Amino acid sequence: MRLLLVEDDSMIGEAIRTGLRRDGFTVDWVHDGDAAEEVLRTQPFDLLLLDLGLPRKGGLQVLQRLRARHETLPVLIITARDAVSDRVQGLDAGADDYLVKPFDLDELAARIRALLRRKSGRTAPQVEHLGVMLDPATHRVTREGRDIALSPREFALLQLLLERPGNILSRAQIEERLYGWGEEVESNAVEVHIHALRRKLGADFIVTVRGVGYRVRPAA
Amino acid sequence: MTSLRTRLLVWLLGGVVLLGAAGAWIVYRNALAEADAFFDYHLRETALLLRDQPVQYMLGPAIPPGDADYDFVVQVWSLDGILVYLSRPHAVLPAITTLGFSTASTSEGRWRVYGVQAVTRVIQVAQPMRVRERQAADLALRTLVPFALLMPLLAILIWFAVGHALRPLQRLTQLVKTRKETALDPLPDARLPTEVQPLVSALNDLLQRLGAVLERERGFMADAAHELRTPLTALHLQMSTLARAGTEAERADAMARLSAGVQRAIRLVEQLLALAQQEPRVGSERAKLRLDELARDVVAEMVPVADARHIDLGICASEPATVLGDAQALRTLIRNLVDNAVRYTPEGGTVDVSAMASAPSQPIHAPGGVGQAGSLLRVVDSGPGIAEQERSRVFDRFYRQPGTSPPGSGLGLAIVKSIADAHGASVALNSGLAGRGLAVTVSFPPG
Repeated sequence: MRLLLVEDDSMIGEAIRTGLRRDGFTVDWVHDGDAAEEVLRTQPFDLLLLDLGLPRKGGLQVLQRLRARHETLPVLIITARDAVSDRVQGLDAGADDYLVKPFDLDELAARIRALLRRKSGRTAPQVEHLGVMLDPATHRVTREGRDIALSPREFALLQLLLERPGNILSRAQIEERLYGWGEEVESNAVEVHIHALRRKLGADFIVTVRGVGYRVRPAA
Repeated sequence: MTSLRTRLLVWLLGGVVLLGAAGAWIVYRNALAEADAFFDYHLRETALLLRDQPVQYMLGPAIPPGDADYDFVVQVWSLDGILVYLSRPHAVLPAITTLGFSTASTSEGRWRVYGVQAVTRVIQVAQPMRVRERQAADLALRTLVPFALLMPLLAILIWFAVGHALRPLQRLTQLVKTRKETALDPLPDARLPTEVQPLVSALNDLLQRLGAVLERERGFMADAAHELRTPLTALHLQMSTLARAGTEAERADAMARLSAGVQRAIRLVEQLLALAQQEPRVGSERAKLRLDELARDVVAEMVPVADARHIDLGICASEPATVLGDAQALRTLIRNLVDNAVRYTPEGGTVDVSAMASAPSQPIHAPGGVGQAGSLLRVVDSGPGIAEQERSRVFDRFYRQPGTSPPGSGLGLAIVKSIADAHGASVALNSGLAGRGLAVTVSFPPG
């Protein structure tokens, strides 16, 4: 899951990025409103973490512009402004959730998972498909009740594929959502991860659609 | 005697008594003068009457024994000096008399005497002065007694009148007493005596100024609380990342970040404290100080910090310059400027500090530099500088330039400005070394 973090304080931004990366998220980070607009226009993200007190362009303005373009990207506001009127204003401007600083990293991660879950139209926190169960909160994957050990990247890839079972994702799409800026992507990285997943979950769990991409085998 | 009522009572009653006494004295003097005229007339009349009487008549009992009130004593001498008649034996009258009026002192007090010479004898009529004095005193006393009797009444009247007049003051006291400490709206000044009006308007003025100060403090508190949230959020998150760190390298990294976060929180609190201490100090503890020496102290203190960042920090120009001010506050001012410069200048940069007497056009090379000129403090760095459009805003509390790294407290220049204002000094921002960087100039008025 690739997130965009917009936060002007370098320490807070650094800590959030480090923490969320450990939780398996791909986090890209910009420091001001202008930069946020720029990357939101050109790159795909699964969720936006938005601070309100930003230099150059306020967070609310970024949010309003985003919604004006009919973007459905889930937005979680993280701010020190805690007045009820601020929250109302933020939510009314199109935010999906609102978290007041100082907040707990675990809570932030939980809220991000909840937003992503809602976005994919599910209500249960765990994803289940053909006997494979994925828990985004605990990063546990089981197959027929048995634990399967996955690397963070493998986990992220599986989560991506299970988001809409049957949906085909191209290699470029997978790379884009698995790797943040500045992360070195080996040319065959996706193939390596797919291979590992097939080894752990069964060769037919992931299907290659030749010339198009990958998808999980649809439920019969 | 701090009660207005008692004070007024004492003053007014005292005044009345004094005036009464003075009045009685005047009445007494007047009465005495009148009694003198009256009795002198009678003395003379009696003497002249006796002169025209035959001696025999006088020797007879026909002479009125004399009114006790008048207490006349008549003596008649033959021309050869033999006392031929004495109306009443009276102790110690002068045996011989001058003609006309005279006053004689005897062991029985002073007597008024009138002497007249007839053909064959000398007649003397005398009267003790105390008769007149008693009469005059009686009169004066009669005037004074009603006064004295009325005194308690007057006292009561004054007591109540003053009480009544002071009632608006009591109302005001009650109003102030029952007032909540947060209520800073002006006191009502309608229906107040003219004398109390200035006090109330002065109080209202004070309340208003107090209100402004409180408002500012409240704003500062709110800002400060808000600002504390940022470093605390960072600390909280840094703690979490430390707790989640899996490898030793991650742990070390998280520890370093946490430590930086703690340093930043400490710095913010210190800066807040410096600003808070600055506010009420305005105008206190002024002394003549050497700006160049203060600058040298601060630079010496900051050199290790600059060395750690490989920044060439030094004094580039220094001449004796005096300012009138608070040493601790001025040190804080200089330290903030130098600290800012060292902090934001890239490694290997330069920070120059100079202190000098201002207005170099004036001949101020008197010993010690104590002239009519002010002083200048300048801190110049080779850092990123401050964009022209940002320069007016950087003095605002908690204002940080976008993209500034490392994140500061946003208070440094606010503290500088606050201290400069308290010293009547101005702060100017210009471009620094070779058109780059920042030059901060603080101009102090003549001290």
